[in-house]
Amino acid sequence: MSAAVQDRAAAPAQALLVANGPHRRFVLSSGAILVAPAVIFLLACFVVPIAQMVGYSVTAHMDQGVAVPGLTTENYARLFRSNLYWIVLVRTLRIAVITSLICIPIAYPLAYVMARGSAFWSRLVMFTVISPLLVLVVVRAYGWKLILAKQGFLNWLLQNLGIAQSPPALLYTEWAVIIASAHVFLPFLVLPIAGAIGKIDLGVEDAARTLGADWRAVFWRVTVPLSLPGLAVGVTLVFSLTAASYVTPQILGGNFASMLGTLVQQQVLSVNDWPFGAALATVLLIVTLLVNLVLLRLFEHRFARWAGAGAAR
Amino acid sequence: MNPENPRIPIALALCCALLSAAILAPMLIPIAVSISDSMFVSFPPRGFTLNWYAQVLADAEFQTTFLFSFKLAVLVTALTVLLGVPCAIGLTRFRFPGRSLVFALILSPIVFPVLVTGVALLQFASRLGSNDSFLQILAGHTVICLPYLVRTVSGALLLVVPSTEDAARTLGAGQFTTFRRVTLPQIRGGILAGCVFAFITSFDDYAMAMWLADARNFTLPLQIHVFIERSFDPSVAAISALMVAFSLALLLVVERALGLKMQRIVAG
Repeated sequence: MSAAVQDRAAAPAQALLVANGPHRRFVLSSGAILVAPAVIFLLACFVVPIAQMVGYSVTAHMDQGVAVPGLTTENYARLFRSNLYWIVLVRTLRIAVITSLICIPIAYPLAYVMARGSAFWSRLVMFTVISPLLVLVVVRAYGWKLILAKQGFLNWLLQNLGIAQSPPALLYTEWAVIIASAHVFLPFLVLPIAGAIGKIDLGVEDAARTLGADWRAVFWRVTVPLSLPGLAVGVTLVFSLTAASYVTPQILGGNFASMLGTLVQQQVLSVNDWPFGAALATVLLIVTLLVNLVLLRLFEHRFARWAGAGAAR
Repeated sequence: MNPENPRIPIALALCCALLSAAILAPMLIPIAVSISDSMFVSFPPRGFTLNWYAQVLADAEFQTTFLFSFKLAVLVTALTVLLGVPCAIGLTRFRFPGRSLVFALILSPIVFPVLVTGVALLQFASRLGSNDSFLQILAGHTVICLPYLVRTVSGALLLVVPSTEDAARTLGAGQFTTFRRVTLPQIRGGILAGCVFAFITSFDDYAMAMWLADARNFTLPLQIHVFIERSFDPSVAAISALMVAFSLALLLVVERALGLKMQRIVAG
């Protein structure tokens, strides 16, 4: 998604390069031939399967692998009729929204130091922010399990510091899923914000300071507004990734905080109700695409004039 | 005040240090637990032993799945490069009808949840009657890795100085020679960044493999999840510690040997 925005921003530059570049004499076909393998591959392994899945979702339940002919909205109606599925859908959205919101105040200090700190601090923070991306998500979720368990690290720490005598176990609650998701997806928010802050002209902040703004005013009225495009990209990513995560809620939420991904997995692999599983997956897809479209469009239009100058690089 | 770099206030630095500690904690805690000489995971760790490591390293399931995931990630990376580099060249250097549509198509797997793409592939493969789980995972991983590589390589291609290519052509180099001797050295960084990202994405993936894997084609993340569900002793912590060490080695190789900035890989 960050790519989409960057590439969109870079498009005019590209068009210019193509138009004036040394290669305009090569006609249409060469380009088409070069992209053909990738396009054919994606059509076969991505576009057609997705289209077929959406088609599946409006197919009636199959008995012994035989599809009942005709279209039906039954699979979707079932999602909204049953309280159980509705609860899971709402919980998925709630966890994704809270995770995105929690990530924002955590991301800003890190992004600011990354973009504006001395070389040493900037590298150090960048290393800490990026290093989790190299560690398997399953391993990171297990690490949180060790921290949040009743006999885990956090409760041991709280007891020894005398903060709480019998702290509650966070493991197998929604909060465990939120904490771990925030950790897993934080880099996807910090990096775009850091990128956006890095593009802010230092002179703008200096000007605000010269005109008498204290650091708080500079931060809230200059840095934050100018970094909103990065924030939009990052929040969209965190929301989509959290809403569609499977293994993190599985390890940390157990059966008490199952999300839409778990439901799809159960319907497809355990219950073998593929049409309903396809309908659930389609709902997840639509939610993700809507959030992407709405958030990114909103920010793109509102902040086009600020983003335009910097984003093209 | 230094005009180049406004100073970072102490409070902000402290805040960042705390957050950094929290970020690193889930990766460091397993190391502390893994040397604990007790049958259960508990805090603080008691005693000292390396037995869990010995046990894990001798575990046949761990060995097989690690090797499988490694091989898979290498193949996925190779396939991604084969499809992605020509595609990036075609997209940045040529004009053809539907170019922007192709761009959108190539990038769209980033926006689609991997879980959804995975279940779609499973249903599609089943309708085709395909039983080749390995081929399915290979295809699925390549779908999710391709956009990142095309992005990094396109970015690198846009930074190539056009006059160097012109010079080569003027001096009589053919189209292919120009690409190999002039363009390729300039976009190597972009290709390598895309490769590293593809390798990590494939190696780390759970949401795609959970649909397409079978008993003979089982990836490491799936196996580690099985371990987590199955055992409560510190052996899983030992596996975690080993994987953190593996990641660290990967990071060092990337930074030192390839001279790449990690930020570029992630941010494109």
